[in-house]
Amino acid sequence: MAYPYVSDREVRLLSKSFGDPKGRRLETYVERGGYGALKKAFEMGPDAVIDEVKASGLRGRGGAGFPAGVKWSFMPKEPTRPHYLLCNADESEPGTFKDRELMRWDPHQLIEGVLIAAYAIRAKQAYIYCRGEFFETTQILAKALEDAYAGGYVGKDILGSGVDIDVTIHLGAGAYICGEETALMNSLEGRRGQPRVKPPFPAAVGAFGMPTTINNVETLSAVPHIVSNGGAWYRQWGTERSTGTKLFCVSGHVNKPGNYELPLGFPLMDLIEDVCGGMTNGKALKAVIPGGSSVPILTAAECKGVNLDYESVQAAGSMLGCAAVIVMDEDTHIVKQVRRIVDFYAHESCGQCTPCREGTAWLAKILRRIEDGKGAEEDLDTLLSVSRHMTGTTICVLSDSAAAPVVSSIQKFKDEYLALIRRGERAGVA
Amino acid sequence: MKEIPFKNPGWAGNTGEFDLTEAEVRGEDFVGERPRAGGHPSGASAYPYMLAEKTPDAKLFEGDYQARFEKILSRYPNKQGALLPTLNLAQEVRGHVSPETMNEVAGLLGLSPAYVRGVTSFYTMYNKRPVGRYLIQVCTNVSCSLKGGDDVMAAFLRYTDTELGETSEDGLFTVIEAECLAACGFGPAVQINSQYYENVTPADVPGIIERLKAERAGSAG
Amino acid sequence: MADSPATVTLTIDGQEVTVPKGTTLLQAAKQVGQEIPHYCYHPGLSSPAMCRLCLVEVEGAPKPVPSCVTQAMNGQVVKTQSPLAREMREGVLEFYLVNHPLDCPICDMSGECNLQNYVHREGRDHGRSVEPKRVFGRDDFGGDVLFYGDRCVMCTRCVRFMNEMEQDSRLTVVERGNRSVIDTFYDHGLEGTHWHGNIVDLCPVGALVSKDFLYKARAWDLAHTPSICPSCSQGCNIELHTRDNLVQRVKPRENLEVNGWWICDHGRLDYEWINHGQRLEAPLVRDGGATRATEWKDALVTLLDRAGAAVGKGVKAVASPFASNEDLAAFAALVKELGGGPIVYRSARSDVEIPLKGYPGLARRKDLSPNAVGAELLEMTRVGGDDGTGGLDDVAKHEGILLVLGDFLHDQPSDFGGKAALYAYFGTRGGAATEAAHLVLPVTTFAEQEGTFTNFQGRVQRFWPALTGPGAARPAWLVIGALVAQLTSTDVIRSAADAFARMGQQVPAFAGLTYDDLGTRGAVVSETVPLTGD
Repeated sequence: MAYPYVSDREVRLLSKSFGDPKGRRLETYVERGGYGALKKAFEMGPDAVIDEVKASGLRGRGGAGFPAGVKWSFMPKEPTRPHYLLCNADESEPGTFKDRELMRWDPHQLIEGVLIAAYAIRAKQAYIYCRGEFFETTQILAKALEDAYAGGYVGKDILGSGVDIDVTIHLGAGAYICGEETALMNSLEGRRGQPRVKPPFPAAVGAFGMPTTINNVETLSAVPHIVSNGGAWYRQWGTERSTGTKLFCVSGHVNKPGNYELPLGFPLMDLIEDVCGGMTNGKALKAVIPGGSSVPILTAAECKGVNLDYESVQAAGSMLGCAAVIVMDEDTHIVKQVRRIVDFYAHESCGQCTPCREGTAWLAKILRRIEDGKGAEEDLDTLLSVSRHMTGTTICVLSDSAAAPVVSSIQKFKDEYLALIRRGERAGVA
Repeated sequence: MKEIPFKNPGWAGNTGEFDLTEAEVRGEDFVGERPRAGGHPSGASAYPYMLAEKTPDAKLFEGDYQARFEKILSRYPNKQGALLPTLNLAQEVRGHVSPETMNEVAGLLGLSPAYVRGVTSFYTMYNKRPVGRYLIQVCTNVSCSLKGGDDVMAAFLRYTDTELGETSEDGLFTVIEAECLAACGFGPAVQINSQYYENVTPADVPGIIERLKAERAGSAG
Repeated sequence: MADSPATVTLTIDGQEVTVPKGTTLLQAAKQVGQEIPHYCYHPGLSSPAMCRLCLVEVEGAPKPVPSCVTQAMNGQVVKTQSPLAREMREGVLEFYLVNHPLDCPICDMSGECNLQNYVHREGRDHGRSVEPKRVFGRDDFGGDVLFYGDRCVMCTRCVRFMNEMEQDSRLTVVERGNRSVIDTFYDHGLEGTHWHGNIVDLCPVGALVSKDFLYKARAWDLAHTPSICPSCSQGCNIELHTRDNLVQRVKPRENLEVNGWWICDHGRLDYEWINHGQRLEAPLVRDGGATRATEWKDALVTLLDRAGAAVGKGVKAVASPFASNEDLAAFAALVKELGGGPIVYRSARSDVEIPLKGYPGLARRKDLSPNAVGAELLEMTRVGGDDGTGGLDDVAKHEGILLVLGDFLHDQPSDFGGKAALYAYFGTRGGAATEAAHLVLPVTTFAEQEGTFTNFQGRVQRFWPALTGPGAARPAWLVIGALVAQLTSTDVIRSAADAFARMGQQVPAFAGLTYDDLGTRGAVVSETVPLTGD
C-alpha cells in the first residue's frame, strides 16, 4: 500500500510495507522472502542478472527514464579497477517524495536492490547518497544496514558466496543539483557539487575516477522483485516501452495527496479524480505538472486522455520525469507558482555555466517584477528568448528545467501574465 | 498509543488511513538511541547534524566523536571523500561551521583552507553563522505553496518574533526558508533541527512553538 | 585519401582539415583560421567547458557542443559561423553583460579585454536586462593582485591555475549560482606564493588586476617587444611593454620548451632597475686628476694608446652574467687581443629553487642571472659569494690591464684598479669603484639592444631592443667589437647578427648557429654546460 492513503487500484509491489513499521525489521523482511533475490542473483551470475533487468524494461525512476539494464551493461565485465555502485537518494525535485517513503518503510528492499546491482556490475563498494535533510530516514536506513551486516547479508563473503560488497551511507548537505549523477559523484568525492562534462561517462570515469553506475532508489528497489520473478513477469504491468509499476507522488489540490503505486500507463485523470478522491473543495482543475517542477505544465484540457507513461506524456507536450504530479485548481496564481519554481532553480544553480548562472537569476528577477505588477509586454519576449538561450547550452539540464515552466506557462497561461502586466494587479488568488 | 497533544503535530502519522504512533512513523521505535560513537561504520555519517545543544568551542574531535570520525574516514578511498561527513560532524558538535572550523577540518583532512571554504559555502545546510537552538526551515516551494506554505512561514515568523534568517532574542529560534523537503504530499512541510513536521497549518504553529519551548525548559542545561 | 589511424579529417566552415586524433574542435578550427571565442579554456590548464562561449554547431548533433572539449571525428561537419552558433554566442555574451558593470572607462583591461572584443564582434547592440545588478565590490587578494568581483566572468582560470600549476590552493569559488564569486580563505590570500601574477594574465577581463600596474598606462599606448627575463637562468620568454621609453610592465611570452605561458612573480615585478638610476651617458676619460666627457672615437683611441703602453703586464678582466652572448664574446676577444688573461664574473645565487610544480622544467632558478652559461661557454669563471660580492681581491690590485664589463662593483672600494696601467670600465652606471678608471664607457642594458642569452639548459634565445639607451650609450658588442677590429685590422661588426655569428668561430658550441636558426623560440647549443662551483 502506498502512503498515507490506500487505493484498491494500486499494485503493491515496492510499496507493500508502507505504513507497516514491522516491515523495517530484518526478521520480518526475511520472513516475507527478503534476500531471497540476492541468493538467486548469486546463483545466476552477474551477466544473467543484467539480462533479466534488461528484459524487464525497467527504466530509471529518477527522472531520466534510461533503461537500467542497459546502463548496467556499460560497465566493464572484467574489472581492472574498483567499480562503484551509487544509489541516488538525493530526492530534491519539487513534488517528489517517494524515495523517502521507500527508505523509511522498506529499507531492506533498497539494501537488497543495492547489493544485487553492485553484484551485477562487479562492484565491491556501494554508496547510498542521501540528501542531508533526511536525518530520520537515514537513521532508519542505517539501523537496517547495521542489522543486514550483522545478519551476513552485507560485507565480506556474503551468505558464504565469496562475494564481498560494502555499503556506506553518505549524507549530503543541501544542494538540489547533487541529484544530478555527475554532481553527485563530485559531492561524494568531497567537492563542490558541480556536474561534470560528459563524455567521459560514469561507466568509464565516475566516482573517484573509477567506473561507476548510479541508480535511483525506486529503480534499485524494483530490482529484487525483477530478479525473483523474472523480467517477463515485470512486463505484465505498464506499456510496451514503459514497463512495470511506478510510485506516483501526488501533491497539490487533491483530497488524498500521497504516494500511489500504479502500473505505468495509468490514466492521469483517473489518478486525480478516482484514486486521489478528486479536487479539494470541489474546485475545477486548472493545470497539472506531471513530472516534477522541471517539466512543462499541462492545462486541464491537455490532461484529458493522457496516460502516465513516458511516451504518452511526451506526446502531450510534457515529460513523465520522476512522476511527481502537482495538481493545481482554478484559483491557483500561475505566475506566482512559476516565479517560485524559478526562484528555486536560481537558488540551486551550481553557477558553472553562464546561461544557467545568469539566466536563472535573470528569469527570477523578471518574473518577480511581473508578479509585483511592474512588468511590461516586452518582458514576455525577453523571458522566451532567455529561456531559449538556456535550453541545450549547458553542462546539465538544470538550466533547461528552469526554462521549461516559464515557456510552457507563457504559452498556455499568457492571459494571466498579461493581466498582471496591463492592470498591474494580481489575477487570481494563491 | 502515545498521547497526541494536538491534532496534527505533523508527522503525517494521523493523516490518512493508518493508525500509527509518532515513534513508529519517525522510526524512533526501530532506531532507538543511536550511539554517539557512530555504531556500525557503514552508517557512521547517518546522524542528525542539527542538534539543539551546540558547543561552539568543542574540540574536533575527541571521545565518541573521534571514534565516529575515524569510522567515517575508513569508508572513503581518500581523505577528501570524507569532507562532507566531517563537516557534518563538526557542525553536529559546534552548531555551525565558522572559518576557524573550516581551517581545522582542512588540517584534519590535508586540504587547503580555501578549498574547504569553497565546498562549505556551496551547500545550504552548513550554517555559516550561529543559529538559534531550533532552526526552523519552512518549505515554500510549489507543492507546499499550493497548500499555504507562505502563511505557515508568516505564522512562524510571528510566533517566534523574528525576521527571516535572524535569531530570536532569547536565542531559541531561527526561521529560514527551505527548498523542497520531499514531503510534498503532506505539505506544508517544516523541518525543525533534524525533525520533519508535516501537514502544518498556521493554527498549529503556536502549539509547536510552545512544545519546543517546553522541551527547552525540560532538558538539562 | 585514406586517413592513417592517428589522424581524422573533418570539415570546419566548409574547409577540410586533417588533424591528429584527440584534437579538439577548438584547436582544429584554429588551424583553418577560425578563432572561436572562449574564456574558461586555456591550453595550459584543465578544460571544464563551463563558460559555454565556444559552442559550435555540429551537423547531426542534437544540441550545440562545446568545441574546447569535443574531439574532432572523421567526417564531422562543424559550423562556427552558422546562424545557430552565432545566436548561441550572442546569447551567452548577453548573459555575461547582465551583471557586468560598465567599468571600461576605469578598468585597466580596457583595450585588451576579451569581453569588449567579443561583444563588439558579435554581441547584441543593447543588453535587454533592466534588473539591478549583483554587486561584489573590490577585494585585495594579497600579493600583487586586486580582484574586482563585479567584473568577473567566473571562468575559474585563476582558481585552476593556483590548484594545478602552483599547486597551492589559495583561491576558491564561494557560494553557488549567481551568488558565486572568487575568493581566498578570508584574510589568508596569495602572499607567500611565487607565481600568482599569472592569474592576472589569465583573467580574460579586468576582474584580476596587478597592483603594480594599476592605473599606470592604457593598453593601447603600450609597445610590445619580445625579450628574455634577466632575473634568473631559466630564461623565461617575456614581452616588455613600454611607453615613454620606460618599461611599464612585463608579460610572459609563450614558449612551451622553456616557460610555457608563465613567469614567476620575482621576474615579473623586477623591472624597475631598467628604468631608473643614474646612467652613464657619455664616454668619460680621466687624465691626471681631471675627467672629461668625450666622443667615442677619442675614447677608444685613448684606450688603445694606453693599452699599447701596458702590453706585457698581463690582463685581468671582470665580466657580467647580465651581458649578452655578443657582448661577452667581444669582450673575450678583446682580452685575447690584448695579451690574454683570466676573465671572472660574479653572480648572486638563491639557496632555493622555486619550481612551478604543475609545469615540469620551469622554476625560478638558484642562479639569479640570465647568462652565466654564456659566460662559462666563453671560459669565464665565477668568483665571489652567493650574495654576488667579493672574489676580486687580486683583480683590484692588478698592475697591468684591467677591464670590467657590466659588473656594478658596488662592494669594491674607490681605489679599485688604482694601480692598473689601464683600467677601462664598460658599464651602465658609475659608482665609487670606477673612480680610478681611466675610461668609463657607457653601454646599453639588455632592454636597449638586440642580443641573446644562454639559459641554464644551454638554450640560446634572442631578445630585441624595447627602449632607446641614454645619450651615447651603445651596445658593448659594438664598441668593444670596434676595438677588436682595430687590433686585428678587420672590419667593424655593425650588426648583432654578425656579432653572434662571429661567436660561432670562438665557441665550438655556437658553431653554425645564426639568428634565423634561433627565431623567437631559441635553440639549444650542442654541448651541455656545467657551471663552475656547482
